[in-house]
Amino acid sequence: MSLIEVKALNSYYGDSHILFDIDMHVERNEVVALIGRNGAGKTTTLKSLMGIVRPSAGSVKFDGLELVGLPSHAIARAGMQLVHEERRIFGSLNVEQNLVLAGLTAPNRWPLDRVYEMFPRLKERRDSRGTDLSGGEQQMLAIARALVRDPKVVLLDEPFEGLAPVIVRDLVGACRDLAAAGQTIVLVEQNLAATLALAQRVYIVNNGHVVHEGPSRELKEQPKLLERYLGV
Amino acid sequence: MIEARRGIRGLAFEGWTALALVVAPFVLPKIGFVPDTMNRVLVFGLFGVGFDLLFGFAGLLSFGQSAFFGTGGFVAAYLLTRMGLTSVMLGLAVGVVAAAVAGLLVGMIALRRTGIYFAMITVAIAEVFFFMENSPLSDYTGGENGLPGVPGPTFNFGFASVHVTGGWSMYVFLAVCYFVGLALARRIIASPVGRIFVAIRDNPLRAAAVGHDVHAYKLLAFVIAAAYAGFAGGLLGVLQGYMPPEAFTFDTSGQLIMQTVIGGLGTLIGPLVGAAVWLYLRDFLQGSLGMGASWKLALGVVFVLLVFFLRRGVVGGVSDLIALARSSARAPGKAAPGGGDDSPVFAAASQNSGPAPPPARDPGEPEIAGPILQVRDLSKTYGGLAANSEINFSLERGELRGVIGPNGAGKSTFFKMLTCEINPSSGSIHFEGRDITNLGVTEVCQLGLSKSYQVNQLFTRLTPRENITIAALAERRGKFRLDLLRNPADIPGLSQQVHSTLALVSLTERADVPVSGLAYGEKRRLEIGLALATSPSLLLLDEPLAGMSPRERAETVKLLKSISKGRTTVIIDHDMDALFEMSERVTVLQLGKILVEGTPDEIKANAAVREAYLGGVLE
Amino acid sequence: MLSLPNFAAQAFNGLVLGALLALIASGLTIIYGTLGVLNLAHGAMFMVGGYAGVVAYQYTGSYLVAVAAGSLFVMALGLLMERAVIRHFYDRPPEDQILVTFGLGIVYVELVRLIFGSLSQSMPPPSWAAGITSLGFMIYPTYRLAVVGIVAVALLALYLVLYRSRLGMIVRAGIEDAVMVDSLGIDVYRVFMIVFGIGAMAAGFAGIVNVPIAPITPDVGESILVETFVVVVIGGVGSFPGAVLGGLIAGEILSLTSMVDPAYSQVMLFLVMTFVLVVRPRGLLGEQGRA
Repeated sequence: MSLIEVKALNSYYGDSHILFDIDMHVERNEVVALIGRNGAGKTTTLKSLMGIVRPSAGSVKFDGLELVGLPSHAIARAGMQLVHEERRIFGSLNVEQNLVLAGLTAPNRWPLDRVYEMFPRLKERRDSRGTDLSGGEQQMLAIARALVRDPKVVLLDEPFEGLAPVIVRDLVGACRDLAAAGQTIVLVEQNLAATLALAQRVYIVNNGHVVHEGPSRELKEQPKLLERYLGV
Repeated sequence: MIEARRGIRGLAFEGWTALALVVAPFVLPKIGFVPDTMNRVLVFGLFGVGFDLLFGFAGLLSFGQSAFFGTGGFVAAYLLTRMGLTSVMLGLAVGVVAAAVAGLLVGMIALRRTGIYFAMITVAIAEVFFFMENSPLSDYTGGENGLPGVPGPTFNFGFASVHVTGGWSMYVFLAVCYFVGLALARRIIASPVGRIFVAIRDNPLRAAAVGHDVHAYKLLAFVIAAAYAGFAGGLLGVLQGYMPPEAFTFDTSGQLIMQTVIGGLGTLIGPLVGAAVWLYLRDFLQGSLGMGASWKLALGVVFVLLVFFLRRGVVGGVSDLIALARSSARAPGKAAPGGGDDSPVFAAASQNSGPAPPPARDPGEPEIAGPILQVRDLSKTYGGLAANSEINFSLERGELRGVIGPNGAGKSTFFKMLTCEINPSSGSIHFEGRDITNLGVTEVCQLGLSKSYQVNQLFTRLTPRENITIAALAERRGKFRLDLLRNPADIPGLSQQVHSTLALVSLTERADVPVSGLAYGEKRRLEIGLALATSPSLLLLDEPLAGMSPRERAETVKLLKSISKGRTTVIIDHDMDALFEMSERVTVLQLGKILVEGTPDEIKANAAVREAYLGGVLE
Repeated sequence: MLSLPNFAAQAFNGLVLGALLALIASGLTIIYGTLGVLNLAHGAMFMVGGYAGVVAYQYTGSYLVAVAAGSLFVMALGLLMERAVIRHFYDRPPEDQILVTFGLGIVYVELVRLIFGSLSQSMPPPSWAAGITSLGFMIYPTYRLAVVGIVAVALLALYLVLYRSRLGMIVRAGIEDAVMVDSLGIDVYRVFMIVFGIGAMAAGFAGIVNVPIAPITPDVGESILVETFVVVVIGGVGSFPGAVLGGLIAGEILSLTSMVDPAYSQVMLFLVMTFVLVVRPRGLLGEQGRA
């Protein structure tokens, strides 16, 4: 049984029909990527998995549990975590408080030391308020916050966007380590190189439909596929 | 909310009300109404007409109407008792003016804020006015004793003279006053001003963006409500022969609100019905059942339940029942609802080139040489984040420009600065040679620059026809006009403009379906139609194709191409195929700056653009 | 007459009043800041706290029991009110929320009137705070001094909960981004309910503590509500420090201007509110954003 099984998922944003009958699956320990142009529906897919957008039709089975219709806090407790594109860290709390809050309802939460070991920078800044952090630090905190809950799956929405190349390199490395340790990840990313470096399997999404699925190796070897679906 | 007027055509409403007023003295006493109660119902009904205009139609919840009720009442009473004025009608008129002035002054303070803040401020105002009456001004107002001795009016008809005292003669007098007030309110609602009130309640952001001076209209609604309150207050003094200080209490404001909600918001006669229910139950519960003070508790519970379930109150519930009865009696065969894509209308409209779009705004002066839009060093920073950095952008008259860029590039921020929805941190924007930086969205729209929104900003309680009319009203009448009594049909060119705009966006067949019943593609077309109806010379379109099916996309592209003739157009979208097909030139934004500009072919071939979209250099 | 003892007495009165207003306004402002709801029943809840406490006193003769009863009863009322009513209004326009809390406020007042009648009820101060204290240049009722201390402790407790406890951390995060808190596995609606209960309890506590100073009638909530609104506007909606600061300022304004002419004190307060609205619309310590 796949860890995540998505069948015929349809989602709206207001009354704009964004996702049309999405079918997807994610296996344990896999890194799967969703790529596609802006407005294709990648973020909406992640938000639908997390329950922030309520799907109008279809099913999402997570380790056998049906997620559609559940509130986000229940989905979080089932072991899913989403790192938002806008990061959404709590600016009025400091780094450590952000982490502590995240772990409150997680039975297997990571001890803070483990988090700080993975992100030494956050340890240095543990008393700084969220608003005082740099972009890269905020992104680290957002990812760390998700990991504190020891989730079965981490959904990453454009984690490398808007960051300096050096920071991106560090983050990609951290994600690689995570994947190697067995963490299941679903990645949405515009940065194609990073995506192909991390993901084993890729879904191409266009205008709310899944238009292609295949191993990332295939895309590396046939860049024309990308042009066909992404058009630039 | 669909106002009562929809189910009531022409003067039928006034007719029925007049009939009810005439019949009431014969019918109501049989169920226990005494003349004094009925008179009181009329006074509060009139008080409520103004309040319903303010809250039911314009959407402004004020807890401070007692301030104006008391002001009008005490000014009239003072003139009539202490100053020796003999003409009661003149005294009442002065009271109205005083209340209106008070409304203007208070409104200028209170309307600086909206929603919750506004409500809080009006609560404070009610209390302050009460205090003023009770103490500092007690020499004039009689303090806790009020002003006794208010006379009733005398009317000289030449052949006879009628002096109104209590009882049924008072009823006739008050009923006439009420009827006049109600009929006037109906005219106001039907006028352009009334339509704009409703639009402001529905979507104040869009009302401002299509060119209406929202603040001025809100202030107008506030003053009108204050005037009605003042008139009703004066009548209260005449009715009782005595002006009570209780007129000023917060309790009175609260009572008004509860009566209006119970009777029905947005119906104009709701307050009358609510007052009748309120006062009847008070007499009945207190007198007959001997329940003492608990009548107010019962009414409070009823009020809470109504807010929960039936905000349109008694009148709303009754008119819903009537509508239900009518529609089930009507033979089936109405046009099927929905049907955005597949409706034959769409196909028909796309076959020919369609009607000519409303012309771009006439600049008045001879065309100014040079670009229609010139943006210099435009920047916007939020805290440490630079959403736009030093954008230099210019647009020639008649161009169709596309704007693309990855997420976070600052495209929407750029548009918002162009329409003056947000102010830039630095830089300038010149439109047709005029500096429009920081002008404000209403002003800029009146000058001929408007936008259709990425997320629909429609007047959702209205129909497409009404939506377009709101925009066209601003175009025809400017940002503010005091035409309270005008019939919109009398505005030259208005219906023509509405009709042609609807036809252009292929909504003629669906023009009278409430927005909530439209398909998504139809709503998107209406969104574009709203911007078009303001006759812009420069039209911005923020992701017009968002969320559309391939067929809707193709049709919308055709629409966009046709409306871009004769005006300058800028389009942001993520659908690059469509954008490249339509645009003559394309600007690419990335991380708040302009990356490159060129023809679609140049952009497609540009390496930097590919990199911006597909990713950095990373092994 | 403007004599030092007189002035000092009024200044102290202002402090007492200000402290109470600060506490009540804090409750209102954290409810608004977290839930986005303006609780027009807040004044009525102040009043209910007083009555609940008085009833408890009549049964037990203990001031402490009275204070506990008043606070806890109103907290329970708040929890119930949020769960049964307010929760259904989060998706409705703000005017509907205002109307329903307004209606509930009326219901509470009339219910109390039905049960207790309109005459005032009172409760004596506790024996350890009865009588008067000499402060050298003047004498002053001991209980009123005690109230300043009691309310200060309550405010401190509120502060500790908001800024030093886990719950407070969740509440502050929820004020910022309720959806994100939910995403992290915390049932945000339960948090809202608790916040409403705490905010209500603040009003109820103030209500019972105030009874020995001024006997209570069903209508006291109305003027308290208005003064609380003014405090919140001055201090800044959604700001706890703003409510405290605004409360103290308002208390002093009301007291000191009443020395000149009792009638003008309310007007003066309103003028200050107008001034703040014109010059600094978000209030002294408020943040831009909310309404």
